[in-house]
Amino acid sequence: MPKDPLHTKLCDMLGIEFPIVAFTHCKDVVAAVVNAGAFAVLGEAMHKPDEIAADIKWIRDKVDGKPFGIDLVLPASAPPAGALKELEKEIPESHRQFANEIKKKHNVPEPKGEQALHQWGGLNQEMARAQLDVVLEERVPVFTSGLGNPAFILEAAHSRGIKVFGLIGKTRQAAREIEDGVDAIIAQGTDAAGHTGPVGTFSIVPEVAAIAGDTPIIAAGGVTTGQHLAAALCLGASGVWTGTLWLACRESDSDMIIKEKLIAATSDDTVYSRSVSGMPMRTLKCPWTTEWAAPDAPKTLSAPYQMLLSSDYIQAANDHRREDLMFEAAGQGVSFVTSMKPAKQIVIDLVEEALDTFDRLTSESPVATG
Amino acid sequence: MPEAQQSEKGFDAEMAEKIVECDGGGPIPGTKLAGRQEFVGRATGEYIDHGDPPWRWYLVADLTLKPDGYPGDTVWCESGSLYTKTD
Repeated sequence: MPKDPLHTKLCDMLGIEFPIVAFTHCKDVVAAVVNAGAFAVLGEAMHKPDEIAADIKWIRDKVDGKPFGIDLVLPASAPPAGALKELEKEIPESHRQFANEIKKKHNVPEPKGEQALHQWGGLNQEMARAQLDVVLEERVPVFTSGLGNPAFILEAAHSRGIKVFGLIGKTRQAAREIEDGVDAIIAQGTDAAGHTGPVGTFSIVPEVAAIAGDTPIIAAGGVTTGQHLAAALCLGASGVWTGTLWLACRESDSDMIIKEKLIAATSDDTVYSRSVSGMPMRTLKCPWTTEWAAPDAPKTLSAPYQMLLSSDYIQAANDHRREDLMFEAAGQGVSFVTSMKPAKQIVIDLVEEALDTFDRLTSESPVATG
Repeated sequence: MPEAQQSEKGFDAEMAEKIVECDGGGPIPGTKLAGRQEFVGRATGEYIDHGDPPWRWYLVADLTLKPDGYPGDTVWCESGSLYTKTD
């Protein structure tokens, strides 16, 4: 075993102490994790280009030249364009009625303001391209593509000193992106929060590692402890990608109700459902996901129609801070999120747990078997 | 801030009529998340390039696999996420 099992080629590539990547939507978490010796990526998919530029500047001011990343979602498929109002007309009446029954049964109030769905306007190909241009112009140290192949941007990114990581859910996606020349692959298993592929972390990581050559693999999906970190390295990864772990940390801007729900949750409390958006995603269970999973529920619609149905519920739950209705994307590793620790302490705990795990594995006497 | 970049439409005869799979998906409006979707269909050859370097999207028609409830018969797929059936 190497002298320091946690010093990997990902550490060398990024100049970081620990092979831990935090994915978060909160700038404060990015700064805290980066300053603790790990790496962090800010999810900016739902931000406008000028907001992304401002966030990059804010982080730069806080991390004293240390590297960090920006994650965008490159849409990989898009239905023919249509205005939201036109799309809403296509929702079957039976589905509208079922959504209204849920709202009535669970006493879901009306949203207080305009739905975020409508405020934002949705991501189209042009908006995604404009977001990317900010990343290039700002010469962010690392760009990660949370979905979609970043091959077309590689040359432009590399010429500006930007490293590019691709997040994949299938081995064939990894094979193509490695061949295209990405700097690292994030192999995400179905245990993860939010959007996931169908393959488990324990299968996708070694499968991708086997074809990766010198390209570092970062394991994602259910990673919340140092044991997970140690296991990921044993599977051939050079680091771990963690998301749920940071939602309840001290610096996180998640609502306190959500933090408390995450701390109380176990893996049984997550659900892999299409009921929120029409696309499969893992979240904490809530009345909305439970009702759509009932045997007599209508089949969920595809995106964006299902999202148009669920957006009232989501907005109302958040606007009124209804604990019984609110939910958040969460991976199956949520069981191990048990307190609101500072991000730095989470990094330290992960490292110590991983080192303890390696020590235990190498020091235990072989057990005799009959 | 970067200036808005041009989009350019075109036709790729080599791609036309190929049966393709799309490991698709995109951001979920109103959330901070994204989702995956899969499609199988026939590439028409029509494409659109966004910006420089160009980001190419192909139009896929006659869908034989699409997400439950997907109402259309066509979808635009990003070229890097498109696989011909022989891949």
